[in-house]
Amino acid sequence: MLTTRRNAIGLSAAAMAAMTAAEQAQAQAQAITAADAPAPRLPIESGATLRMLRPVRFVQPDEDVFRANCARFTQQTGVQVRVDFVGWEDITQQTAVTANTGAGPDMIIGFNESPHVYVDKLVELTDVAEYLGRRYGGWLALAQRYGKRHGTNNWIGLPFGSSGGPLVYRKSAVNAAGYERPPEDHAGYLDLLRKLKSANKPAGFALGNAVGDGNGFANWVIWSHNGFLVNEDGSVGINSRETIEALNYLKEMYATFIPGTLSWGDVSNNRAYASNECWLTANGVSLYFALKNDPATRAIAEDTEHMLLPKGKASFSPMAGLTLNAMVFKHSRYPNAAKALLQFLLEREQYDPWLNANLGYWAHPLENYGASGVWSSDPKVAVFRDTMKSPFWIGYKGPISEASAAATAEYVMVQMCAAVASGQSTPEQAAREAERRAQRFFRRR
Amino acid sequence: MTDAAVQAAPGNSATAQPETMQWDSRARRVVMLWIPLLCFLLILLFPFYWMTVTAFKPNAELYDFRTHNPFWISSPTLDHIYKLLFETSYPRWLKTTMLVAVCSTVLSLVASTLAAYSIQRLRFKGSQYVGLAIYLAYLVPPSIQFIPLATMVHQLGLFDTPFALILTYPTFLIPFCTWLLIGYFKSIPYELEECALIDGATRLQILRRITLPLAVPGLISAGIFSFTLSWNEFIYALAFIQSSESKTVPVAILTELVTGDVYQWGALMAGSLLGSLPVAIFYSFFVDYYVSSLTGAVKE
Repeated sequence: MLTTRRNAIGLSAAAMAAMTAAEQAQAQAQAITAADAPAPRLPIESGATLRMLRPVRFVQPDEDVFRANCARFTQQTGVQVRVDFVGWEDITQQTAVTANTGAGPDMIIGFNESPHVYVDKLVELTDVAEYLGRRYGGWLALAQRYGKRHGTNNWIGLPFGSSGGPLVYRKSAVNAAGYERPPEDHAGYLDLLRKLKSANKPAGFALGNAVGDGNGFANWVIWSHNGFLVNEDGSVGINSRETIEALNYLKEMYATFIPGTLSWGDVSNNRAYASNECWLTANGVSLYFALKNDPATRAIAEDTEHMLLPKGKASFSPMAGLTLNAMVFKHSRYPNAAKALLQFLLEREQYDPWLNANLGYWAHPLENYGASGVWSSDPKVAVFRDTMKSPFWIGYKGPISEASAAATAEYVMVQMCAAVASGQSTPEQAAREAERRAQRFFRRR
Repeated sequence: MTDAAVQAAPGNSATAQPETMQWDSRARRVVMLWIPLLCFLLILLFPFYWMTVTAFKPNAELYDFRTHNPFWISSPTLDHIYKLLFETSYPRWLKTTMLVAVCSTVLSLVASTLAAYSIQRLRFKGSQYVGLAIYLAYLVPPSIQFIPLATMVHQLGLFDTPFALILTYPTFLIPFCTWLLIGYFKSIPYELEECALIDGATRLQILRRITLPLAVPGLISAGIFSFTLSWNEFIYALAFIQSSESKTVPVAILTELVTGDVYQWGALMAGSLLGSLPVAIFYSFFVDYYVSSLTGAVKE
């Protein structure tokens, strides 16, 4: 190709832009405070190669930066790293196969409680976790909950980030209903929903078997009334006065919803919100960015605001983010190399650019990353910053275990709520049935 | 039509109208035949129609049913097809899927033919029970089998290769094909084989020269069945293949085109549409054989 003067100017501008972006990312990373802490001694095995499986990207830069970080690890250590991306719904099966056959990748970044299900097959990560905690101001509450084995200080997973599902609403509609923002108390919140319904701008929350949105909403309904699935000791506690009260509240709420929420999956509220059918829902930041990036829906994005889920009777917004949780398998021939890679990826030079690339979809697990530039890049994203400070987790408030994972996978809470909303059961019947189902999981383990 | 019916039919000539029974009025035919047939067609074809329409719809129309007709496209676009073919590894996934489907189909057909023939014709002691046992194996759900199979696949060193699928798909293909072919072989007159035996033919010669040529519709039927199931299979493909480049179409389009809770419906439907074409084409070539094998078999 003949290089004209205009081309040359264009090329050098592009190169400069790329350099500037890389330099900017590095400069931003330096803004993250890091204490001097002795790194664990991890002599990398000779001839080590690594294979990792992780959930598919949210946006393309997520994958690009993640791969670039792994390539940098290869450059520095000579360890070849291969990363494969798997659909979100499919990573659980892949993890089950890997754990049960003792074959496949050396490490998997799974979701939430995965390491607790396969704890016997995993390498302990306490040394790396303690080092990172000391260096970056400590692990946040949700990270500690998902990372440590229950009742111990032994780390079996390294949380990489968490995606919250706060309220997403149309500011114009909420303002027109007479509220500056959705109220934190149950009565005020219900009043807003009723006003939105009468203005033909209804709210909608998933009541179908939706992994993220369905569980998120059902948990909010119960937790915001101080109810819970299991007690601290792991005994089932769902059939309580608080749960009945929550389900009665849900009945009133459901009457204000857009029709069809009983069959909503994770994607349904995105579509309804993007097509002006639903004006208030709960979702991750993906919905906002999908709206913002499409010229046809940019106006909706401009009118969109986020807010943590109303507290109700709880002292903290009841929300447990979907958490990325990395684990290293005992079948790996190179456990030190695997641990070194995870540690490398969570160091500020790698982690902060990755956090920025995700535009706020994943919130950091380590305190000092709260100063990351991503949280000031767009004021509408700032609400996601403290996702991992939440004192709630899936299976609250019992120990995270195979039983709590099974109860979530069987949608015990979601189906209890759906049974009441649809009129199929009274709140009392639904709570009893949920108790019976939950006892099947928690009794036998 | 039986001989009696032929005699009873008035004006049995080339120009005669199709016979109409007393009770077979036009209105009755509409109610009993055409309306149910139409409903049946609508139910069967609507998903394909929806898939096609979505594949060519721009996103603005896709997400706004208030302004745009959900059943029609105002301004069709090839963006989704372009994205699928040029921004993902779709052609490669298609090639892998084809390789896996063809190989596992051939493997299953060979094994099923031999199994069905021996069970039906050799009639060794306990052959009936073997036939029943093979069929019962078909009833074991793949979701139960995938973990033990994964262990074997790993021990054989086939994990994450197309051979993992080529060798595991026959676990559910062979039982059904064998069962189907047993039924088909049963319909082929045994006298033909007896004649061949008297003439000194061996069992393999009989199978190759007499039984198989007569059983072509049955083989095609079993082939279509195997190919379709292999093409669409999901759970083994998900469990045994982890590398992005070795995935089959049903798994790969979900991984690439569903990012979190953002579904790229246009590209997903384009992927499903293009992915269903090979099966439809394959089926259209052999539909007559397929129907005859399921309905009539060989007339004695």
